[in-house]
Amino acid sequence: MMLIPCPFCGHRNESEFAYGGPVKPDRPDPHAASDEDWVDWLTTVPNPLGPVEERWWHVKGCGTWLTIWRDTRTHCVVEGSGDAG
Amino acid sequence: MSYNASFERLPISACFDLKGAENALVEWIGAEILPGFPTEANRRRSADGLSLDHVGPRHWLLHADIDREDELNAALRPHLAPAEVSIVRISDTMTTFRVAGADVAHVLAIGCPLDLHETAFPEDAVTFTEFFGQKALVRRCAGGFDVSVEQSYGDMMEDCLTRALR
Repeated sequence: MMLIPCPFCGHRNESEFAYGGPVKPDRPDPHAASDEDWVDWLTTVPNPLGPVEERWWHVKGCGTWLTIWRDTRTHCVVEGSGDAG
Repeated sequence: MSYNASFERLPISACFDLKGAENALVEWIGAEILPGFPTEANRRRSADGLSLDHVGPRHWLLHADIDREDELNAALRPHLAPAEVSIVRISDTMTTFRVAGADVAHVLAIGCPLDLHETAFPEDAVTFTEFFGQKALVRRCAGGFDVSVEQSYGDMMEDCLTRALR
């Protein structure tokens, strides 16, 4: 079980949330980026052994989208969310 | 072993979904109609038969008896609301179960991951969470909890509660 810190509700069970995917780097200019960089941005999902920045949606709660840093080795949220919207 | 608790499906009540900045809502609705905004997240404020639940950022639910629905609809004027606010009558979209009894905390714990101890979830607490896997609005009532779910899940919730109470 993972407790995710919602900026509005506080810590809530992960079952109240929907995974929104990893935070990706800014979209490169498709006219300037190489094919390799473009395909990498489009298809490669960050999968580090350690902290990864992720988006989560408090879909069964207040509806807030938030960003956290989760350690993939321990499932611990190593850095909570600052944004709400 | 069965739990010392029971549940009933409550009759429909008036409910309006309010979204927008607090000052924009007050400007449109008028402060005299609302019971006042709760000062904390996931809290309820009640006055004069109305209650206002702060259920999300810039998001509130206004509850009243169904007899007052037309009166409130006329006062809130959802169809004329400015772009800065959203007011939607949602009375018939939710169905509410009142679960009460000495073992009510055990029954709620089967379907809800929230800490519902009085220190964490006091009398005026209200929040969306999950109940038997579905999104649900949970709040305290005399001797127990009121749990509201989207009305199409009503029969399923009734079945889940019946099984949980066995």
